[in-house]
Amino acid sequence: MSIVELRDVHKVYQLGKTQVPAVRGVSLQIDVGDFVSITGPSGSGKSTILNMIGCIDTPTQGEVYIQGQCTSGLKDRQLTVLRHRTLGFIFQSFNLIPVLNVLENIEFPLLLGKPIMDSGAKKDWLEYLVEAVGLHEHIRHRPSELSGGQRQRVAIARALVTKPHIVLADEPTANLDSKTGQSIVELMHKMNEELNTTFIFSTHDPSIVSMAHHVIPLLDGQVVSQP
Amino acid sequence: MRTVLKTAVRSVFRQKRRSLLLAGAIAFGMLMITLMNGFTEGMLTNVRDNLSHALGGHVFVSGQEITETGRVVSRIDFDDRLQTLLETNSAEIASITRRSQTFGTVVFGSRQSAQMLYGVDFQAEERLRTSVAVTAGSLEAVMEDDQAIALPDSLAQRLGVELGETVLIRLDTVTGQRNVGEFWVRAFIEDQAELGMSAAFGHRAYVNTLLNLPSDSYQSLNLFLHDLFAADKMADQFRDVLPLRPVGEDGDDQAAAFGFGPFGQQQAPEPWDGIRFTIATINDIMEPIEAVVLVLDRLSLGVFAVLLVIIVVGITNTFRMIVLERTKEIGTMRALGMQRPTVRRIFLAEAAFLGLFGGVVGLGLALGAMTVVSRLTVAEPGLQFFLAQGRFTFQLVPQVVLLHFAILTFVCLASAYWPARSAADLPPIKALGGHL
Repeated sequence: MSIVELRDVHKVYQLGKTQVPAVRGVSLQIDVGDFVSITGPSGSGKSTILNMIGCIDTPTQGEVYIQGQCTSGLKDRQLTVLRHRTLGFIFQSFNLIPVLNVLENIEFPLLLGKPIMDSGAKKDWLEYLVEAVGLHEHIRHRPSELSGGQRQRVAIARALVTKPHIVLADEPTANLDSKTGQSIVELMHKMNEELNTTFIFSTHDPSIVSMAHHVIPLLDGQVVSQP
Repeated sequence: MRTVLKTAVRSVFRQKRRSLLLAGAIAFGMLMITLMNGFTEGMLTNVRDNLSHALGGHVFVSGQEITETGRVVSRIDFDDRLQTLLETNSAEIASITRRSQTFGTVVFGSRQSAQMLYGVDFQAEERLRTSVAVTAGSLEAVMEDDQAIALPDSLAQRLGVELGETVLIRLDTVTGQRNVGEFWVRAFIEDQAELGMSAAFGHRAYVNTLLNLPSDSYQSLNLFLHDLFAADKMADQFRDVLPLRPVGEDGDDQAAAFGFGPFGQQQAPEPWDGIRFTIATINDIMEPIEAVVLVLDRLSLGVFAVLLVIIVVGITNTFRMIVLERTKEIGTMRALGMQRPTVRRIFLAEAAFLGLFGGVVGLGLALGAMTVVSRLTVAEPGLQFFLAQGRFTFQLVPQVVLLHFAILTFVCLASAYWPARSAADLPPIKALGGHL
């Protein structure tokens, strides 16, 4: 069953008087619990596709479906609710809130919108996530006191805290050394298997691509071949 | 809400120096307006108190009769209606003084000087005994001799008179005859000659003799009230019951009531029968002073307004900078599911926190400054009328302080509103720089 579907999606950016096509007629389906890598060289449209799946950008043409719901025409408030309830994000530059400590950063999405679990369940869930990403000794540390790998682990825990169906990661290892990057993708894979959460990540690191269940190769805004 | 407040408060402390500068500007505004208001309110109270003591009351009742020759004579003898009013209002009246007064010429050797003279009952006027600052001699010495007098310092210096010496006072009786009395100088007292509030005090019975009044008669009845602000209400009650002297007749009635006018005898164009009263309150004489204080208040409001403009510009610019600095953070929060109004609230909460923090610090500094200044003794004679026992006093009206807090907070919120709104309106993709 597909949890994400793109139907003939186009995205054209207007740069002054020039129109730059970033995505050209991409159609794809991603199933529940999949661990998918979107690959391709810089400028191939990886980030643009992730942005549209993540409901932070809209296609110029075509439709994006999340859990069967077409995102076109949704208002900002509805898109925000969809992001909060269904999607998790792992950013290339970690994007932790600098004034919050590790535990507060992980908890942060839970404090937005309506509560999705009671306080007891929340406490257990946070403990599980902190333990799962191996940061139980650093929960009171601020992001500035963590290494890059530790920060990305916090970001992974934060992305999972609302129990989203889909986690999106745009080049999550780009700012990490190869060993740390490998461990981060392994952690993502572990969480994918334990929680059956769909992970969609972009990368051009072949060693990481090899860990994906499916690979979507892009070139010049088009899917080169569907695996 | 907890998330908003936590994020806002911690964000304020993220750039400590910048936040301190902003809070400092707000604190300075609060400091200035609180000091000015505290000073003017305190000064007003001191002036009112000092005037009350100098004039001997809060409500002033003077009586006038017309003699057979057509002269207006200031005097009050026993009056049933007045007595009933005093008994009815006894719970609100703290003390009653009954005085005679005349504007005479004090003569010492070859020197002479015009001077207001009050005839008082020293035994009954405890307030006078405790409020008058004696610079030489004592009021007890004055109380011992019927012909003793307490002279103001300025007069004593002009005449070159010493304690224990005798002065003559030339005056007119209530019926217009010239008279001269001999007084023994037993005390010198501080006065407010600069403000025209200089007065000598002698025994009422002796002054009455010189004025050709019965010894138990008096010319003005002054009431000290427990609550100064009840003065106008009580004066109205007196006006309703007592027969009043027609307003605006032959000189300034209020001035006469306070002893500034021609008290002894006046010509009346339209004679009346029996006694007529003039009633005034301390508030009547305070009106011009309150007008001056109002100008001071307006000035301080002007200064406050200028400071508010500086604060508005400072906060708006700073928050625009803050939004630029935190664009990526805003994008992250929006991507994670934060709604636009929540983003806006975070920035507004920061501004409100800065406003409240600056306000509290400013108020604290103002209270500290007031404490220090109010402990200093000021010897300058020209300022004594504005002081309480030689010291500045400050009074804060809680409602006014709260209003200033509200204004400051509102200004901070209003200044941060547009930057906060622009932050909330940032599309997540733009805030994140085009990629996750």
